[in-house]
Amino acid sequence: MKATVNTQDLQKKFSFLQHAVSSRAQLPILLNILLEVSGKTLVLRGTDLEIGIETTVVIHGEEEGGITVPAKPFTELIATIPDETLTLQTQENSLHVVTKRTKSVFQTTPKDEFPRLYLEKGELVATLPVSLFQEDLSCVVFAASTDTTRINLSGVLLKPQERGFLLVATDGYRLSLKRSPVSYGTGKSGEKEAAAMKNQIDTTLLIPARVFREVLSLRGGSGDLSIFVTKEQNQVIFTMGDTLVVGRLIDASFPGYEKILPTDIASTITFDREEMLKAVKMCSIFARDAANIIKFSLRKDKIIVSSQAASLGENTVVVEAKLEGEENEIAFNARYVLDILVNVTKDEVYLEMTGPLNPGVFKIQGDSSFLHLIMPIRVQG
Amino acid sequence: MQNDHLTAIWQAVLQDLHATVSKANFITLFQTTVLISFDDGIATVSAPSMMIIDLLQKRFSPAIQASLEKHLGSQVSLLFVPKTPRAQAIHKQGPLFAQEEPAKPLIGHLPRVRPDYTFQNFAVSGSNKLAFVSAQSIVANMGHVYNPFFIYGPVGVGKTHLMHAIANEEYQKAPEKKIIYLTSEEFTNEVVDAIRTNDTARMKKKFRSSQLLMIDDIQFIEGKEKVQEELFHTFNILIDNGAQICLSSDRPPQEIKRLEARLSSRFAGGLTVDIGKPDLELKTAILGIKAQKYNAILPNDVALFLAEQVEDTRSLEGLLLRVITLAATGNEDITLDLAKRAIGQVAKEGREHVHADDVIKSVCDFYRIKSTQLKGPKRDASLVKARQVCMYLLKRDLEMTYADIGNILGGRDHTTVMHGVEKMENLVENKAHVFEDIQGITMLLRG
Repeated sequence: MKATVNTQDLQKKFSFLQHAVSSRAQLPILLNILLEVSGKTLVLRGTDLEIGIETTVVIHGEEEGGITVPAKPFTELIATIPDETLTLQTQENSLHVVTKRTKSVFQTTPKDEFPRLYLEKGELVATLPVSLFQEDLSCVVFAASTDTTRINLSGVLLKPQERGFLLVATDGYRLSLKRSPVSYGTGKSGEKEAAAMKNQIDTTLLIPARVFREVLSLRGGSGDLSIFVTKEQNQVIFTMGDTLVVGRLIDASFPGYEKILPTDIASTITFDREEMLKAVKMCSIFARDAANIIKFSLRKDKIIVSSQAASLGENTVVVEAKLEGEENEIAFNARYVLDILVNVTKDEVYLEMTGPLNPGVFKIQGDSSFLHLIMPIRVQG
Repeated sequence: MQNDHLTAIWQAVLQDLHATVSKANFITLFQTTVLISFDDGIATVSAPSMMIIDLLQKRFSPAIQASLEKHLGSQVSLLFVPKTPRAQAIHKQGPLFAQEEPAKPLIGHLPRVRPDYTFQNFAVSGSNKLAFVSAQSIVANMGHVYNPFFIYGPVGVGKTHLMHAIANEEYQKAPEKKIIYLTSEEFTNEVVDAIRTNDTARMKKKFRSSQLLMIDDIQFIEGKEKVQEELFHTFNILIDNGAQICLSSDRPPQEIKRLEARLSSRFAGGLTVDIGKPDLELKTAILGIKAQKYNAILPNDVALFLAEQVEDTRSLEGLLLRVITLAATGNEDITLDLAKRAIGQVAKEGREHVHADDVIKSVCDFYRIKSTQLKGPKRDASLVKARQVCMYLLKRDLEMTYADIGNILGGRDHTTVMHGVEKMENLVENKAHVFEDIQGITMLLRG
């Protein structure tokens, strides 16, 4: 193969591609990335067998063909090349990277050893504007478990609904739920695609949170995101522009989240997210040595956030707030509260609770499509 | 073909392959594979992703096929399907999805009385049955049958639990009643305060108007004459009013030294019951109740095993907590094996060799004093306490002789040491703050 590439174009692709390349792979081929020239494009692929990423760069192709090279040194090398363009060329078993003044030669492995990321993309089930989907996703994905032994909690549930779909994630201690509308305003996707989607996401999918994290890190938020599913192959593919992320569907039952959504709310308290974030950060300093427990005391016009550690001392912050219903007490793990406050973007947030031992529900003022549940911690006194 | 049979065949195939393919390949590609069916000569093997299947097909199809044919004894064609093994661990969904009973509405509780100490969660067995039944009949016949009600027994057998249960039960029945629950130390303080502020009338009124007076650890009024006198009068008035009195102690009334005879005869004038050390069955039952409190599933064999390890119920709870924590951190179920590991840790920690100087250093660090002060002649209260704690630890952990301990602590007489150790032994059992000090120092010792 032979191709001339704009160096910057290539550099931009690597940071993302590297997410799929494990630095600790047991199998040597997985430390490599695949480069393949086909027509006017250079295709780059990386995988750790769990997810795969494919992306393309426009080139002046001169000779088709493909090769794999060790990802880390190759990426590092490309990053240091100052010239505007570079030429990639295979000679027997090596790859030459040539610029005006430099020449680097890599040992390679044949491309046939590299696993194929997918056979076919599968059925298109949805096309959505990236930026809006990412916004919805970002307030859900963080709640998924990172513990891979709890496979059913390591995914995000994508569930079709009357008008749109539901995204749900939980790690057993907290749960995020977001209702996404079918058609986000008037994107390029338009009515036709919306209708197509409504017909096609007909079953609930459980997609690894890791795949969604990659989708979240896709840059260039103006384009459309397409989702392809092949049920028989257990495969889900997200594409945006020239980039593709492939992952596998999780075949496990998601916990019955509907029945834990509290219904009889005793107290509702509204507060400013930024203020609360500051308060929780402050209290978490003292909570660090005490199992991260922070206490919320709901009062008529304020929330008293407090924490204490037997060996260190204690801390109290008053956050202005408006209470409807009973005064109440509830304690949470500070980390979970920080997560939710950092991951939502709206400023007016409220907390609903039924009692100190029932999950507390965080919601956004004027947005009924989102809720976040946190299991309280039982404390004495 | 049966599932077990498929699993067995696949295990054999994997073993063959393990010998021939590289370790990296085996771990990455084969470990997650499963033989899911074999019908009409087609063996279906599942692997988690298409990418893995691609590599398996490219490189290992012939080897897998050959091995399968060897073990199945027939021609085989191979089919790969992408499939993740279905997760089975439904119970590992976390507390959010645990089937919790709806929380009971709290209606507030009595000051100083723990609402979770009730008759319902008191485990009953031979050693405490009499006390339990009597306590219940006290609530049923307030002030009429057994007055006073006097419970005694060693530390950690449930005296306080029963006292609290009586208070809670009565409070449920008649929340308007004036119930006073306090420890004898608090009673002493009230009396002393009243005398100091010259306001005995208010104090007298407070106690003498109660309908249920409960004093925990009454033995501590030993030798306090003014307090005893006050208690005597209160006692008489309350009995006359038909109010119920409940007392607890670590020994029977007649054995409390320096107690006025008129008081000790009155203490013994009602019903005196003792609670003995819990037997194995009772300890097992208590573990069950405690486990429920922490929402843990405790198999019977584990409960029995833990119960065999310790004597009193408080250490029992500590041990249980350790097991639960270990299970939670490792995300495991509680099993006998896990429990043994937890105990192993305790035993190991306990066995670690400790030097006398380490003990002295830890005690000094804990109380923030110098070792010269500890060994010196001064007898300030704080120094004496530290010194006695030190004696106690040297005796308990290092089993040194009284004379040796005396020598190491600046040439003290062995009788001084004996007195110190005895005093601490008593305090550790009965005073939470002393117990905590000892715990703290022990933690320091173990780093």
